[in-house]
Amino acid sequence: MPAYRTGFALPLDELRDEIDRLWTTLVTAPPLHGWGPRSEESVFPAVNLRETDEAFTVEAELPGISVNDVDISVSGDSLVLKGARRAVDTAADCAAAGEADRPVEAPAGEKVVWLLRERGSGAFERRLKLPVAVDSLRVEARLVDGVLTVVCPKLAACQPRKVEVRGG
Amino acid sequence: MVTKTETASPATPPRAGLTYRPNVDVRDRGTEVVLVADMPGANAATIDVTFEDGVLSLHGAVAPRASTARVIRQEYGIGDYRRSLRLGDGFDGARIDADYRQGVLTIRVPRLAAVLPRKVEVRAG
Repeated sequence: MPAYRTGFALPLDELRDEIDRLWTTLVTAPPLHGWGPRSEESVFPAVNLRETDEAFTVEAELPGISVNDVDISVSGDSLVLKGARRAVDTAADCAAAGEADRPVEAPAGEKVVWLLRERGSGAFERRLKLPVAVDSLRVEARLVDGVLTVVCPKLAACQPRKVEVRGG
Repeated sequence: MVTKTETASPATPPRAGLTYRPNVDVRDRGTEVVLVADMPGANAATIDVTFEDGVLSLHGAVAPRASTARVIRQEYGIGDYRRSLRLGDGFDGARIDADYRQGVLTIRVPRLAAVLPRKVEVRAG
């Protein structure tokens, strides 16, 4: 039989407990999407995840990132996408970022005159937990037109299997 | 790092589906203005770039990805890209050059020779 305290302090105690509970939830839970100073970096890249009976397909948009600048690792049910998009701050960087076919008029080191700058740069790392373990030896990744596609075949033991019922 | 922005569909959408506003960098190189737009999953053959009345418009058609797989998590949408930017006068629309690689569209809009600064030589009489 639980003991109840009586008196007018009861609603306040309940309120305090409620606030404690809420506070614990807030400080122990992972940050909400879009919350926190580095939230944009921490959720890059956004991913779409699809599943078939045999495999998971993870897709992410990585425009302007070359194959050599992406690093993908798989272990059990975890998939890590790492990489970087190089910052373009000088005319020389612009030349290196795919404008090599064009002569660079400005001397190297000269700052670029930006009229608008919305595209981010820098390193990213995204850790994904897949619903079940995958066969790391058969994971394949492709980067085409800025879209990364990682196909992660499930381990045979994790695939759905039809069980035959034997007659007695 | 880069987020995809959904835009309101234009008055006459080419077909059903959402349209996205690509993130762009624009820099001035003196003789030309270079616009770089993130348009992953587009196709060079289906990207339209037009320049009219000082406004540069870009549109990239993106085909929906056909798949029978179950969607477990969807963090970004897939659809056409559309964006217009006012550059102003003094550009040579006939010499605009566009290049698409690694999901990035780079457009060079050269200034008209007549508006570029020019050193005037003084002839001796």
